[in-house]
Amino acid sequence: MTDEKLDLPQGTLDLLILKALSLEPQHGWAISERLHQVSRATLQIPQGSLYPALHRLERRGWIKAEWGSSDNNRRAKYYDLTRTGRKQLDTETDAWNKLTVAVSLVLGMS
Amino acid sequence: MIERLETLWSEVRHRFRALVRRDAVERDLDEELRFHLDRESEKYVRRGASRDAARRYATLAFGGVERIKDDTRDARGIEVAERIVQDARYALRSLRSRPLFGVVVIATLALGVGVNAAMFGVVDRLLFRAPAYLRDPGSVNRVYVTWTTDRGRGWLRIADYAEFADFARWSRSVSQIAAFCHYFSLAVGTGDDLKESPIGIVSASLFDFFDARPVVGRFFTAQEDSVPAGALVAVLGYDYWQRQYAGRRDVLGSTLAIGRATYTVIGVAPKGFEGISDRQPPVAFIPVAAYSSGRSDNARLARLAQPHEWWQNYDSEWLEILVRRRPGVSVDAASADLTNAFRRSWLARAAIEPNLPSLGFASPVALAGPLQLGRGPLADAETRVVVWIGGVAFIVLLIACANVANLLLARALRRRREIAVRHALGGSRRRLIQQLLTETLILAALGGTAGLLVAQASSAVLGRLLLGGTGAFGVLTDWRTLAFSFSLIVFVALVSGIVPALHQGGEHLADSLKAGMREGTYRQSRARTTLLVIQAALSVVLLVGAGLFARSLHQVRSLHFGYDVDPVVYVRTSLRATKLTDAERSALSARLLDETRSIPGVVSASRIVSVPFGTSESRALSAPGADSIRRPGRIMLQAGSSDYFATIGTRIVRGRGLAASDRAGAPPVIVVSASMARALWGTQDPIGKCIRVGGDTMPCRTVVGVAENIKAHDLNGAPELAYYLSVEQRAVLFGPEAPALFVRVAGRADDYVERIRARLQPLMPGASYVMATPLHEKLDVRMRSWNFGATLFLAFGALALGLAAIGLYAVIAFSVAQRAHELGVRIALGAGVSDILRLVVGEGIAFTAAGIVIGGAIALTAGHWVQPLLFDVNASDPLTYTLVAAALMVVGLLASAIPAARATRVDPTVALRTD
Repeated sequence: MTDEKLDLPQGTLDLLILKALSLEPQHGWAISERLHQVSRATLQIPQGSLYPALHRLERRGWIKAEWGSSDNNRRAKYYDLTRTGRKQLDTETDAWNKLTVAVSLVLGMS
Repeated sequence: MIERLETLWSEVRHRFRALVRRDAVERDLDEELRFHLDRESEKYVRRGASRDAARRYATLAFGGVERIKDDTRDARGIEVAERIVQDARYALRSLRSRPLFGVVVIATLALGVGVNAAMFGVVDRLLFRAPAYLRDPGSVNRVYVTWTTDRGRGWLRIADYAEFADFARWSRSVSQIAAFCHYFSLAVGTGDDLKESPIGIVSASLFDFFDARPVVGRFFTAQEDSVPAGALVAVLGYDYWQRQYAGRRDVLGSTLAIGRATYTVIGVAPKGFEGISDRQPPVAFIPVAAYSSGRSDNARLARLAQPHEWWQNYDSEWLEILVRRRPGVSVDAASADLTNAFRRSWLARAAIEPNLPSLGFASPVALAGPLQLGRGPLADAETRVVVWIGGVAFIVLLIACANVANLLLARALRRRREIAVRHALGGSRRRLIQQLLTETLILAALGGTAGLLVAQASSAVLGRLLLGGTGAFGVLTDWRTLAFSFSLIVFVALVSGIVPALHQGGEHLADSLKAGMREGTYRQSRARTTLLVIQAALSVVLLVGAGLFARSLHQVRSLHFGYDVDPVVYVRTSLRATKLTDAERSALSARLLDETRSIPGVVSASRIVSVPFGTSESRALSAPGADSIRRPGRIMLQAGSSDYFATIGTRIVRGRGLAASDRAGAPPVIVVSASMARALWGTQDPIGKCIRVGGDTMPCRTVVGVAENIKAHDLNGAPELAYYLSVEQRAVLFGPEAPALFVRVAGRADDYVERIRARLQPLMPGASYVMATPLHEKLDVRMRSWNFGATLFLAFGALALGLAAIGLYAVIAFSVAQRAHELGVRIALGAGVSDILRLVVGEGIAFTAAGIVIGGAIALTAGHWVQPLLFDVNASDPLTYTLVAAALMVVGLLASAIPAARATRVDPTVALRTD
């Protein structure tokens, strides 16, 4: 098995989670599925590593958790963005875009 | 900003919830992860995998569940607090499951910490603690003086008032100076309330050294403490005020008889204020001037050649001097300056005392010494012994730690598989060590708390034994002791936890799992044997110390004093303000003597003027034709009635003792001690020789008898010189003293003390009173250092030995249990009972022997430091060493014999089948 720690750059997983949650509240497995589907070709995220990240974000107050029932009628823990979380997503997306633009500019230098 | 706050609030809330509602949070996490895994499995099932396979795929995709949980807990940021709680719970659970282990460890630590906390209280008070309320203790010094006399040079911490005044006048380096005397016990109160109590006789300036305010009234002023007479005012000690006056505020203005005068109460010192008290706290403080002018020693002063008042007097040293150095003045500079002042004072004194040695010969020196007597040049043997005992207590603690470490190691070995499994499940080594240290910390805290109770309980005994009768001192109420105990607890946890923790962390995971409970080979842990040998060695050191002090005490006890101690009661009187003529004094003495003789159980009684190991009289003396005694030095003059020698039990070795016929008008006679006869006339017959007592012009006294030598000042010095006159003939020369008696009783002196006092008191005129004490009390004081040295060394040594025995027993017993398999094999192969016994006991003996050798070597090396504290015993006394070695061997044998007996009962069939 590869290292459980992320291959992703530091803090990127948080950004991905925030993004995944920006559309609607979801439980952990669904977030994992979505990230998996959307990024299948490029990103390998061990499912387990999602949970420490979720709990860290919750602790920071960027997302909030609520127990609800899932589509197959089981109790599941749904995560949703808070107001701070939404702002955070904006800031981080912005920062990320700037970073990638800058990096690709540098890499595109001829 | 608001976002920051929101984030912060969220953090706090989550951490708090995680901590408080731990179980709920934990359940949530379980459920959340289970949900995830279930959904993931379903996914694979839908794709056609079997249930089991689906589960496996899901788990694989997820990663280690326990690890994820741990990471999630970390992510919540509760790890530190939660882990401590978790570890603590784990520790308590494992303690509950093995209560005996817990009890032994906690009891061991309680004893270790307890004796140390108590001893700290004692050592701190003797050596380090500054007097309560003293402002800036670092700049305050006690003044010591020394000068050369015929008898050599020695430090003195007392001076007379004139000397104090000279210091005050001529020293430049001090900003404050005060005189005090805290060691007098004076009669306080009258009638039935009368009690001899410690009184602080202090200069008014003493109060300025302190940041203390009277709780009621005021302290006395310089005016009230000025020559010639001062004012008869007193400041009560807080405790005495509470005890005697129930803390009433209207005590101001009331009067209290102290010594020979009656004082008016003007204030009450704050709680805990004792001035510079080295012993019992004073019940009241009175001005030096008031006390001095009231002393009726004026008669004595008048007899001296130079007429001078008490404040000009240089020859009765009794006041201690306290100074505060000016800012920036070093101790050395202050000493030099004080020496200067002292030299000027010496010249001033020489002007009125022509016989004083010259400045050049005397070369007087003053020292700005430490505040605490125990650190000054006059530290007594008792203080040094106490410091040793403090060290001993620490050794006991080390032994206790070694024991606990050993027990923890034994348990760790027993739990090897559990630990290996926890390792395998992903518990990191650091985490395991952390957990073990938490456990030892909890044990140490429990032990330490119990230890504080032990300390509080033992402080009553230690206080009485070591601090001179002040009784119990605060342990639980004293923050210094509490702080010390707290650091001890941390120390104990680290010292006893670190070895097992490292040991545990270093276990080879795979080996432990593979080996299981059954090990064909038996490995002795080096850490454990080392600890064991250290314990045995330290026990040897302590027991050797105990032996040496016990032998010293025995030597002192069996010392021949030249008189009987146990059956003798010492009766003395204080006339206080009562004025009696010489004739009245003599008549009172005679009446007291007659009354005493009529008490049933009294064998005989005699009047006296000197008391061995108490106050003794000495006078100028000359013997025509024998000039080996130029200065009076310390030749004791004793005066007695005709029964004197029978009463005290000193034997007459030649001639006769004192007789009833040696009256005032009869031919003057004298009895000398054998040592004095020898010093004066060598081998000549002393009977019939002449001695003049009181000066060269006095009449010749004929030596009529020689008494055996006595010890009256010095326990281990050469025989002291003494001579005896009849009380009537002595009174002709020097006038009658206040009545004092020796009474020989049939039985124990203690039983007669109160009886005699009660019979004699009604004969006393006015406010005068009688005190009776057993003579042995005078000697007990001298034997204290050996007495408590022997007692405490023995107590701690026994404690150490007990701990070492428990340690040895535990190790051997454990190794027997661990080797059951091996022993079973041996028995199955035909090993007999004696072989097994030899095998197991041999191990114990080997540890013990190593301990004896190492401990013996340490004790021999340390011996020369203790030598000065011993009495007539060599620090390498072979008997003591032999006995200690034998005792330790016996203990070692016993401790290993019990498990050895168990080893012989190992049933090979059972042992080989297990596991």
